[in-house]
Amino acid sequence: MTTLLALMLLFPLAGAIVQAALSRSLSRPASGAVAALAIAGSLAAAVAAVWNLGVAPHQLSFGQWMAFDGFSAQFSILYNRLAGLMAVTVTFVALLIHLYSAVYMREDKSFARYFCYLNLFVFFMLVIALADDLVFLFMGWEGVGFCSFALIGFWHEELPNVDAGRKAFLMTRVGDLGYVAALALVIAASGSASLSGLTAGIDTMPTATATLIGFLFLFAACGKSAQLPLSSWLPDAMAGPTPVSALIHAATMVTAGVYLLMRLEPLLSIAPDVGAAAAVIGAATALYGAACAMGQRDVKRILAYSTISQVGYMFLAAGCGDVSGAFFHLQAHAFFKSLLFMVAGIMIQAFHEEHDIFRMGARLRRAMPGLFILFACGAAALSALPLTSGYFSKGRTLADAVAHPGPAYLLAFILGIVAAFLTALYVFRLFFVAFFADPADPAKLVSEPELSRMERPLWPLAALALVYGFVNPPEFMGLKPWLDAYLAGTVTPVPPEVEHAELFVEILDAGLALAGLGLAWLLYRPALRPVAAPAGVFTTGLGLDAFYRTRIAAPYQRLSVHLWRGLDEDVLDGAASGAGAGIAGLSRFVARFGSARPSTTITTLLGAVAALLTWLALRLT
Amino acid sequence: MRQLPWLTLLIFWPLLAALVLPALRGNPAACRRFALLAALGELALSLLAVCLFAGPVPDLPVIEDWEWIPTLGIRYSLSMDGLSLIFVVLTSLIGLCCTLASRHDDARRPALYYGLILASLATVQGIFLASDLFLFALFWEAQLIPVFFLIGIFGHGERMRVAFKFFLFSATGGLLMFLAVVALGILAANGPDGPTFALDTLVNLDLPVTVGRWLFAAFVLSFAIKIPLVPVHMWLPDAHTEAPTAGSLILAGLLLKTGGYALIRFGLPLFPEAAHYFAPLLTTLGIIGLFYASAVALAQEDVKRLVAYSSIGHMGLAVAAIVSGSRLALGGAVILMVSHALASGGLFALAGGIGERLGSRRFDILGGLWNKAPRFGAAFLFCILASAALPGLSGFVGEAMIVFGLFTTSSWVGGLAVAGMAVTLVYLLRLARDVLFGPARSPLPFADLDTRETALLCVLAVCMLLLGLFPGPVLALADGPLRLIAAHVWPAATPGL
Repeated sequence: MTTLLALMLLFPLAGAIVQAALSRSLSRPASGAVAALAIAGSLAAAVAAVWNLGVAPHQLSFGQWMAFDGFSAQFSILYNRLAGLMAVTVTFVALLIHLYSAVYMREDKSFARYFCYLNLFVFFMLVIALADDLVFLFMGWEGVGFCSFALIGFWHEELPNVDAGRKAFLMTRVGDLGYVAALALVIAASGSASLSGLTAGIDTMPTATATLIGFLFLFAACGKSAQLPLSSWLPDAMAGPTPVSALIHAATMVTAGVYLLMRLEPLLSIAPDVGAAAAVIGAATALYGAACAMGQRDVKRILAYSTISQVGYMFLAAGCGDVSGAFFHLQAHAFFKSLLFMVAGIMIQAFHEEHDIFRMGARLRRAMPGLFILFACGAAALSALPLTSGYFSKGRTLADAVAHPGPAYLLAFILGIVAAFLTALYVFRLFFVAFFADPADPAKLVSEPELSRMERPLWPLAALALVYGFVNPPEFMGLKPWLDAYLAGTVTPVPPEVEHAELFVEILDAGLALAGLGLAWLLYRPALRPVAAPAGVFTTGLGLDAFYRTRIAAPYQRLSVHLWRGLDEDVLDGAASGAGAGIAGLSRFVARFGSARPSTTITTLLGAVAALLTWLALRLT
Repeated sequence: MRQLPWLTLLIFWPLLAALVLPALRGNPAACRRFALLAALGELALSLLAVCLFAGPVPDLPVIEDWEWIPTLGIRYSLSMDGLSLIFVVLTSLIGLCCTLASRHDDARRPALYYGLILASLATVQGIFLASDLFLFALFWEAQLIPVFFLIGIFGHGERMRVAFKFFLFSATGGLLMFLAVVALGILAANGPDGPTFALDTLVNLDLPVTVGRWLFAAFVLSFAIKIPLVPVHMWLPDAHTEAPTAGSLILAGLLLKTGGYALIRFGLPLFPEAAHYFAPLLTTLGIIGLFYASAVALAQEDVKRLVAYSSIGHMGLAVAAIVSGSRLALGGAVILMVSHALASGGLFALAGGIGERLGSRRFDILGGLWNKAPRFGAAFLFCILASAALPGLSGFVGEAMIVFGLFTTSSWVGGLAVAGMAVTLVYLLRLARDVLFGPARSPLPFADLDTRETALLCVLAVCMLLLGLFPGPVLALADGPLRLIAAHVWPAATPGL
């Protein structure tokens, strides 16, 4: 087991090092092949490790990281079925995305840098998936943040891309402050912070402490997973290459926040307030993302807001304490959203870097029918059309909210239901406009053989998007919920109330999805020649980004200039040079008394004698 | 083997080499080679010291003690424990980097240039090894001289003004400290042990509370100027900006660290009561410094100035950690100082490279360097990430230990230190953005790192990685001495977490 886990981590790391070291001598195909092989090796190790994995978790350590004065951090791993499935999901999606990338980046000069960061990202993501020690997990956590920064700003000749990466890094770092503070609290109490240690000591932890730590971790998770209020970096993150958006900003990294909450389930179970907050934040974000997606014209931004929204559902399930439900949606989402992103990448290249869906249209469907089918599969799953993967997984998260008593969960359920309707609406808006419309101002369609080559890795994802739901069908269908059963010993089992609620929720969800589809047809069918609505509040994400820019970033920048020019240069430096000038002036003044002119000398002498005599006289009397 | 006077050799080997250099002054290439060999020799000496005394059979501390001025109780006594050893190795490493750093600044008077570098190495080693207060004060003052000339002769721009500024700031503090040392000697002379300046004896001196506080203030003012702590930091940005590359490396890598080291080694143990009394003030100044310097750094227009302000911020955090009373934070401060020496050393070396290639380091002519010089870009980004405390690189180990330690003593200070991680990243990302990315704003060609520069940066990068991933040996070295110091200063604090 140790060897397999080490190999799983080492393959992508070695791949990254090879890319960095041989960046000049590797040819383009070799570079792509090495990168994909590294991930394939990692996937093989992940599959081999999870094969016949028992319920009992494996705890192992690759050595000590730091130890000082009672504090210690290990390179330790907590490998259980949840981590095993997560590792397989990550490496599987990553492998397909690497294959796709090899074609997608066919004209880019910096392919070695690209694959280096991509492999490095997979390494750090696997650290998140496997780590036991929370300090070690933080290494992955920050590492993916850096890779995300580097890949968003991959085309760094253009500053807006770099700024988007910088924003992502900074906003997730703001969230990470919560992580560090939580770590510090745990470590102050027990000297080390590990998932297994937290679980073992959970009985003696006071609720107030658990709640505080839980909220801090939740804040960190919100940052990484682009949940409100730290969501505004994700839409801009679309500046990166599209496969990166598929891997990092849809399938894996943004779900790391949810995954952290799943791993921290024992902590959240004794801090119900944190769970309720996570559920409400998640549901609110789901609605926010869905509403904002309605206001976009850029296909990638639609998908970005859609990601924010779908990760919100995962938060909802995790907040309800349903780890297997949250993980089910995480997997389903990883499949259909990475599929949709990669289809979007092909769409964009087919229209010569055109992102606007209102300039695409039916020609795309006719020119690339395979692409159309792929997109339809992804869209069906995302909008939760009955029997697709998204249908079962999203229904499960909503059923969690229904089954939980309490007004917070009721609120979360209502928000989630409204968001579900909006989801179907924006998905089919995108679908009808991009694939059926006949735009007045169409972009130029290019045809290249590479475009269809890029479709090949997507078919497995399309199949999974459609049928993956049957891995965990709701109880009323009478089929075996395989995922729940598999995770049963690892995480808290699903309460029966959820299973009872599922029938109601699934019917409601199916109705909403179909209603959304119908409304989208009414509003955006080709016969109406739909045009984009003018940009509104939803286009700008309700002004959240502008708020941060004008209320935090700009004042801080002004403050920094002011501190430098005003305080540092004028006051502090001025005081120093003032003191210097003062001393020089004093010295000139004193020097006057000792000049070579006899009259001055005599005056000084007499003055000094007078002063001395006066002082003596005063002393004596 | 162990009987040889290794510590004396460590101090005087570079000085000796510096004295030989004038003989080679006609031949710049020979000067360079000789200086490089001398620095390599110093590094070999310090590594040998590691093997000898901190190897499988540790024998620390190493002590060398000879009588010097017996009537005044002044002794030539050196002592090297784990803490000193860390900084001794760091000094030799930075010394090696200095001799590799530039082939531009040394063009005019190579013998003098390398002689000054080696001389400053000697004085800094002296500070890290001295255990007699008088000897320490002597080295403390002596370190000003080579750096003053290094800036004044080999600097850029208004180098003389800046050199004077540096000298006056440091000398003012140094003078007060020297007076305090003399006062301590006088107080000790009336004590039971007779006239002495030995640190080990003086730490047990029973001082009146007020006297102790005044003397501590004098010591700390001197250290604060060197560290530098806001608001007495004004000399540093100027000195860095105008100094030659090697001067910047010495300033950031060594001189600043002597301040932090002296605070740990002398300031705290000599005056425990005053250290408690002034701890809130120093913590406040340190944390203010962290945020203030981070904000000011964001607005800078010159690469070196930005990195200089980042030094002030990092050292502010280190000071807050040193006086916090948590051993974990104290250990973190040591690691942070070492890490900062490596990371900012790398950044200064690269910034110097920018200046040599483009004739200016202002942001408005930079940008797009990644495409012009990918190796340069990778090295620059690596140093930035180490500065930004990315886990796996050296900065993280220090900052994490500091934050975790500060939380055990005061969650407010801990919280502020955590928030500092965000403001640090703000200016560091701005640095990366404006130097490496975007369109190139200067039409001049920009050569990538040559073999010498690559070697220099590789050495630093390997050290940052090793310290970031396997800090164990360094922490083990620091553990014992810090435990002793902490037990003396904070006897009430519970051991361990």
